[in-house]
Amino acid sequence: MGLLDYYRQFEGMTEEEVNVELRAEAAERKRKALMRVDTLDLSQTTWPELPHPSIVNAITFVARRGLNRYPHIGAGSQLRDELAARHEVEPERIILGNGAAELLSSAARALIEPGQRLLSPWPSYPLFPLMGRRAHGRSVPVSGGVDELLTAVAAEPGARVVAIASPNDPTGELLSTAELARLLDGLPGDVAVLLDESLVEFADAQPRDASLALLTDHPRLFVFRSFSKAWGLAGLRVGYAIGGPGARELLAELEPDLGVSEVSQAGALEALRSCSELIARRIATVAHERAAVIEGLRARGFEVTDSQANFVWAAHPSIDGSELSARLARAGILIAPGDALGEPRHTRIALRDAAATTRLLDALDKSL
Amino acid sequence: MRSDPSDTGGLFVGRRPGTAPVHYRSAPDRGSALRQRVDGSLAGVMLAGIVVLCVLCWGPIPLACLWIGSQVNYLTGSVSLGILISFIGLFTLLFGALALMRRLDQAWILVRRAAGHDQRTGALGRVFAITAAICATAFAFWFLVIHGPGVGS
Repeated sequence: MGLLDYYRQFEGMTEEEVNVELRAEAAERKRKALMRVDTLDLSQTTWPELPHPSIVNAITFVARRGLNRYPHIGAGSQLRDELAARHEVEPERIILGNGAAELLSSAARALIEPGQRLLSPWPSYPLFPLMGRRAHGRSVPVSGGVDELLTAVAAEPGARVVAIASPNDPTGELLSTAELARLLDGLPGDVAVLLDESLVEFADAQPRDASLALLTDHPRLFVFRSFSKAWGLAGLRVGYAIGGPGARELLAELEPDLGVSEVSQAGALEALRSCSELIARRIATVAHERAAVIEGLRARGFEVTDSQANFVWAAHPSIDGSELSARLARAGILIAPGDALGEPRHTRIALRDAAATTRLLDALDKSL
Repeated sequence: MRSDPSDTGGLFVGRRPGTAPVHYRSAPDRGSALRQRVDGSLAGVMLAGIVVLCVLCWGPIPLACLWIGSQVNYLTGSVSLGILISFIGLFTLLFGALALMRRLDQAWILVRRAAGHDQRTGALGRVFAITAAICATAFAFWFLVIHGPGVGS
């Protein structure tokens, strides 16, 4: 290095030169940020968006008013009254619980004596077999539809409960009112039907409250609904059960001993009062994307059930579910393989918006 | 002090304007400790040169130009030509000295950095102001006390 070069190396860059470098670095950071694609989680059936601010405000208001006291047990509930008006039933026929799952478990414990049977279609909600065992009974999974269930009940003398999810998780299939009525008419008088309709808001094949019309004539039918799915309030743990006019005694047995948290009730009540339009748009989006995903999957050779839920249940003829899940995970998309439900060929793919559908189908094209 | 926001009373959330650190194109390859000491001395010599040039601007150069102008006036008998030559010489020498000082100041910054100092600005502005103040004071002392206004007339 020459003498002048030695000193020239101490020359600082001008402000303009520094700015050029900073602008280049910022452009590079922006390019990398735009290239980064967040993982798309299609393995969960809960709604991915955050709750509406009005719901959070209502919860905050109640929380600040007094978390130091117990909720008003037995003093009536605005939430129950609102639900009763919404479903056009008497408030006494509705019981609030800490999620539909807790109410289903309570119902199983109340109805099943040790050694008696709980039958449920399979694959279905994984809680059903657990409910039977926790009630010291036996769980009997039944493959097939209403006919197979009726046959299985007739073959099981200790059958006391039939638990059905409609739309069913994971297949998404809806049990039509006609089929439900046929099931109820065909069951012995001492067998109760627990109908889990946690996902029914997403269904558009029949009116949302169609099954409630059967409650009047079938006192052994209990319908369970949830705020965890379409309402997007899984963290609040609010569900409710609706029974027929003659089912009040059993409904009372399902009620949580210390009631449902006031905070949770406030959030659910605000959702009913101010978010119905938002939920309607959400449901319309799911219905639109459901048709697109089912069509897209079938065009790619998948077997897909006629889902009425916010997910589809699909199987590829040559790739099993866990392999497909692994391939999509490499593309940043998570889906739920059916191994845990004993259906290794299948996967459950949740529905989101149009962008998610496009990304899913593009990833499938690259992965298959 | 240069970049601590607490020194600004919170006026500037980040660094104060004009206090950015020096950005080198690449990390300088510094010389040995001996070379840095030599560079420190060289920087001192250069600063002395700047001071001398500044002082020249405030006295000797104008005086020299006035003397040249008077010689032209004496030789040609033309006052205007003498004034013209004086001003040409004055501006040429002043601006030449300023240009030279500017280059010296830039070189002084580099040599100071080579000597291991975080030198961000030059010394020319301060030297120019200080020498101006000293020379003005000296002239005022000479004019008011030693010579006396209007004594020679």
